[in-house]
Amino acid sequence: MSAASVTVLPRRTPPTILIVEDEALARCLVSDELRSRGFKVLEAGSAPEALTVLETVRIDLLLIAVDLSGGGSGLDIARLVQGRRAPMQVILALSEDGALADPEWESLGHLIRKPYHPPQVFDLVARCLNWPTPPDE
Amino acid sequence: MSTFSTHITPRQDAPPQTVLVVEDEVLIRLVIADYLRECGYRVHEAVSAEEAMAILQAPDVSVDVVFSDVEMQGEMDGFGLARWVRSNMPGIQVILTSGAERSADIAATLCEAGPLLKKPYPSQDVVDRIRQLAAKAGRS
Repeated sequence: MSAASVTVLPRRTPPTILIVEDEALARCLVSDELRSRGFKVLEAGSAPEALTVLETVRIDLLLIAVDLSGGGSGLDIARLVQGRRAPMQVILALSEDGALADPEWESLGHLIRKPYHPPQVFDLVARCLNWPTPPDE
Repeated sequence: MSTFSTHITPRQDAPPQTVLVVEDEVLIRLVIADYLRECGYRVHEAVSAEEAMAILQAPDVSVDVVFSDVEMQGEMDGFGLARWVRSNMPGIQVILTSGAERSADIAATLCEAGPLLKKPYPSQDVVDRIRQLAAKAGRS
């Protein structure tokens, strides 16, 4: 019995990232960094906005703050995404002075601690999505 | 979401201008922001007038044009934001849009670009307004 062969073709279009953060300037700077690296970046300022976007647009990676103000939390959205069939990478951004991450959170996605350092966010996003593809050696 | 965009006219000129889109309806904001990026503009997004002011006051962010809805959640509406920009950052141009019938005279006192852009607006109309402002300011 021969082993199944799977060929992974490189994607032609940049992955789409949804950033959900209620601190406007932080959202702006992280989005700017990722766009400058070639990603397509959508922005939401709250959990309800995130839900609207997730129901409308196919998202490859969700970067969401845990401590969102307004209705709903980042964790609620991450749990919802986990229950969906469509594959989606998730990064949870923990508040700067917040509590330690609950073990459950690690099952929901990758964890980062605020404040955001845009180049580090890019490194994590690139690893999660394996994009851009490293050049052939 | 280029799937939402049609008849995109890329900008022929350089350098890129930066537009701050202020809109509390997320899908409207995404569509117009995406369209403007496809046209070559650098675009920042704000959900409210308060968010817009935070971005405009950031030392490492530069904005040429504010494109704002009039009716927004929060303490300040688009008219208030336009007045604040005119008082505090007179070098930044403001374009207002509204789904409601409003007096063109109010907008005309606040916006160099003329009367309100009435919702729903064709995305290209926003680009045309930005280009008109750039031409007036000597940036073609």
